[in-house]
Amino acid sequence: MLVMGEVHTGLLQNSGEIPESTCRDVLQLLSGERVRVSRRPIVYAVSPDLLTGVDCRLPSASQSRIRGAGTVLSRSSITGGRVVQGSSHTRIERSGSDRRQPWSHYLARPGVVEALGKAKPRDLADGFAEEPSADGLDLGAISARFMDVVQSSPLLDRRAPFKIARTRLRWVAEPGEPAIHFTLHSDQMRTVRLVHTGEFTPAVVDLCEDLALHDWLLTALLVIIERARIGGTPGPEAAAKLAPAVDHLLHLWMPSARVDDLLSPYWESLDRRPGFTRQWQSLVDRVRDQLAVHTLAFLREKSGGGAR
Amino acid sequence: MLIFAISDKGGTGRSVTSTNIVYRHALQGNDVCYLDFDFGSPTAGAIFSVGSVARGTTRKGLHDYLLSEVAPEPHRVDVWTESDREGLRTKPPGAGRLVLFPGNEGGGELPAVDEEALRRCVQLFSRLDEEFDLVMVDVSAGRSFTAEMVLQATVRLPSVPFRWLVFHRWTRQHILAADGLVNGADGLLDVGTRFGHDRDKLRDRIRFVRTAVLEPDAAELVGLRDEQRAWLFACDTELRELASRHKVGRTAMLGKIPLDPILQWREQLISDEDVLASKIANAETAAAFDDLAKKIVDDAAWEGL
Amino acid sequence: MTSVNATFGEVAAERRIASAPLSHVSIELGHLYMEDFEAGPERLREQFRRVAPWAGTVRSSWQDRIPGGRARVSTCFLIDDYFSKFSTPAELVPMVLDAAADCDLTIDYIARESACAESDGIELARLVEDRLVNDPPPDTNGSRPPVKESGWLCNGARSPQVGTVQAMGKANRWAPPLQNAKRGHSIFVDVELWDENGGKRTWSCPFLAAVWQLLRLGLLRTDGRLPLRPVMREDAFPDDWESLPAVMQLNPAAAPFSAYTTLSVLSPRFLPVELAVRTILSQVAVDGDVLKQVVARSGGEGIRLEEELVDRISYVFT
Ligand SMILES: Nc1ncnc2c1ncn2[C@@H]1O[C@H](COP(=O)(O)OP(=O)(O)OP(=O)(O)O)[C@@H](O)[C@H]1O
Ligand SMILES: [Mg+2]
Repeated sequence: MLVMGEVHTGLLQNSGEIPESTCRDVLQLLSGERVRVSRRPIVYAVSPDLLTGVDCRLPSASQSRIRGAGTVLSRSSITGGRVVQGSSHTRIERSGSDRRQPWSHYLARPGVVEALGKAKPRDLADGFAEEPSADGLDLGAISARFMDVVQSSPLLDRRAPFKIARTRLRWVAEPGEPAIHFTLHSDQMRTVRLVHTGEFTPAVVDLCEDLALHDWLLTALLVIIERARIGGTPGPEAAAKLAPAVDHLLHLWMPSARVDDLLSPYWESLDRRPGFTRQWQSLVDRVRDQLAVHTLAFLREKSGGGAR
Repeated sequence: MLIFAISDKGGTGRSVTSTNIVYRHALQGNDVCYLDFDFGSPTAGAIFSVGSVARGTTRKGLHDYLLSEVAPEPHRVDVWTESDREGLRTKPPGAGRLVLFPGNEGGGELPAVDEEALRRCVQLFSRLDEEFDLVMVDVSAGRSFTAEMVLQATVRLPSVPFRWLVFHRWTRQHILAADGLVNGADGLLDVGTRFGHDRDKLRDRIRFVRTAVLEPDAAELVGLRDEQRAWLFACDTELRELASRHKVGRTAMLGKIPLDPILQWREQLISDEDVLASKIANAETAAAFDDLAKKIVDDAAWEGL
Repeated sequence: MTSVNATFGEVAAERRIASAPLSHVSIELGHLYMEDFEAGPERLREQFRRVAPWAGTVRSSWQDRIPGGRARVSTCFLIDDYFSKFSTPAELVPMVLDAAADCDLTIDYIARESACAESDGIELARLVEDRLVNDPPPDTNGSRPPVKESGWLCNGARSPQVGTVQAMGKANRWAPPLQNAKRGHSIFVDVELWDENGGKRTWSCPFLAAVWQLLRLGLLRTDGRLPLRPVMREDAFPDDWESLPAVMQLNPAAAPFSAYTTLSVLSPRFLPVELAVRTILSQVAVDGDVLKQVVARSGGEGIRLEEELVDRISYVFT
């Protein structure tokens, strides 16, 4: 019927970026299963998929009480040795019966939650995009825990270069005429509604994770620039506050790097409007200009001092 | 950085002082949050002038987060947008985030420290440390399960820095009580050591804050008779000796907040406007909060005793 | 220039899953306690005599199902060397084989129970423990990590703790435990998976039996590889259990050790153990790719396998 997911993204709690080998150790969440790593165009390491069992109310815009039972698929990942994600999703399907089945039934369908009773895809999707009810399916809490396992790893020194909130991106994917809607809610909350042609593929999950990653980068850079108060504080102070962006963020922007060719039009359309890359580029220019101005002033001061 | 605010006695000024410290710390450009762990009486909302949570939240508060079976993220109140005080409702340029996590309205004390609540507490501290420069936790008064829980939680977060502030008034009873809470049998050091803290290191992370202090030479006392003033001086000297004998003296003190008339009348944040425009608050009080807000993160003020 | 279609692959980023050779059915020809061995060859013969007709029935029913009667049937026997070590392989194995032969049974594979805990440095029991996905009681919405009692696994919700949650709050009263997918009334099962003594973990018998079933179903992998392969027998059996391979192939002409389905012919005294095994197995998440692989293989042979792996396991209690 439809697939729903939630991705949390945040800064790895370590002073510097961590090498590939440490990524592997940190993400080794399941014995006997390898951490997968790809190195081009940026090092991306991802834990094996893990399952969480749920049996609870499903979201519903019409507030209908629809019970769902099954499993949620989750994973943790680290991009560029610097950005952590916890990602969960599940495919909602109609159950053949309206009774809860023995658990082995659900484990034979990993990553599927079966809706017991009459569920309408549109109603579920609309409900999921809204503020979830307290007792409803909470993919966010699961994703948050998949971030926690990474962040609390004893292999990290916990001395992150700056404090920054995690962002949360909830997404719903349905089959139909291709479309994508990205909505910015509060400071940390975003939703994506995606319509794909044909069957759902795991590539959709990759796309949503990639969007979440870049949205977080953009958010983090905006926060750093705001904190620097360019123009409001003395140049050296502002420059010092901008430095972490240069050291830790600017090189991470690689939209669509892991996105399937078939799905890259979705990224392209978001890049046309609202224009993620355009905004990123202008912020990066701002940071670089600011640092250049500061360096120039610094040099002038030095050489001026030398001439006297 | 986690800061735990505790006092032996109730009504010492722990909540008012610690909220003013986070407020000042936010004004100094840091992202801060305040956790109301005074579970028996969660009233921090009132001090931030957020009427909707003045006696705790009716949504999912910290009680739910720690104790209930199904509990999503705890309710966050962004003070810069939700305060009822006009002067607080716009974030001053350069200030950081100021977020309050209220307890549940009608919530009660923890009955014990159970493993599940402890795990959630560790998770909460760990997540907030990722996001905020400073996390102020109002631990309530006296020996409590809450204090025990946070002592255990910090053992499990070895790389998250934390510090304790022990608030007390400048009286004989309060000095003895504050000493007892830290150094006495089953005090912070005893219990902390029992759960795996290193006693000396833990002691280095504890400082005292004197609240509502009336200096014998304060302006308020100008009208006093000579006999009265002499008595006050003698008393103050005696207290000073008592304090230093009980390791609550100058070296272990991080700061003191003068008695302020408006705080005596109302628990509130003291803004610069209260000092400069309406002039209802004393400049010394605001300066003392500001100074403490700097000192809590100033390593020089926390060097070994 | 027109557009160029580029492909780029990275070995470390791809996942490969080895496939296991599979029979149609794996028949376990009984299981014995130490006292049965101590009682001597006659007790063994008695046991095998009871097993033989059932094994024959299953063999012929599979032969009827498979076109040309070419059913792949393998037999196996598990010896407990984990909870108690008795005698030596050199003495015990021939005794078992002879007793079976006397009842016209061929044992194709012999396995050591301790191999289900660990073999060749691979901790199979850990591997399975890591893949337990707890059966969620109603109102489990993911906001909390699954309730786990360390070392235990149940099929529902345990009785809530009696006592108060917060000062001056309401106290919890006793309530019964509940089975999750109950029909009418609960049959609540709580299984001990392991205990620990002085830092050393001992896996429970049902847990190792669950690992044993998964091995026989060919559903376990480590790093995508098969965790163990049967080793062909040598002329003499060793004098200590550690030197005996985890799974030893005795019959050179045997069908593969692992199979689409399993049958265990056991004494009724194992009934509680096997209920526990079923409780465990219904909460083991087998790798999705491995599941698909097995379904594709059996489909290719025109065999429809049961979806749920607990339904691929059957028993005769005699
Ligand atoms: N510097 C000060 N000058 C004058 N009054 C003060 C000062 N600090 C606090 N007070 C007043 O003291 C009283 C107690 O303060 P507060 O509520 O902060 O104490 P507390 O230690 O948090 O108490 P409780 O243990 O009950 O939570 C309040 O009325 C408060 O306004
Ligand atoms: Mg208080």
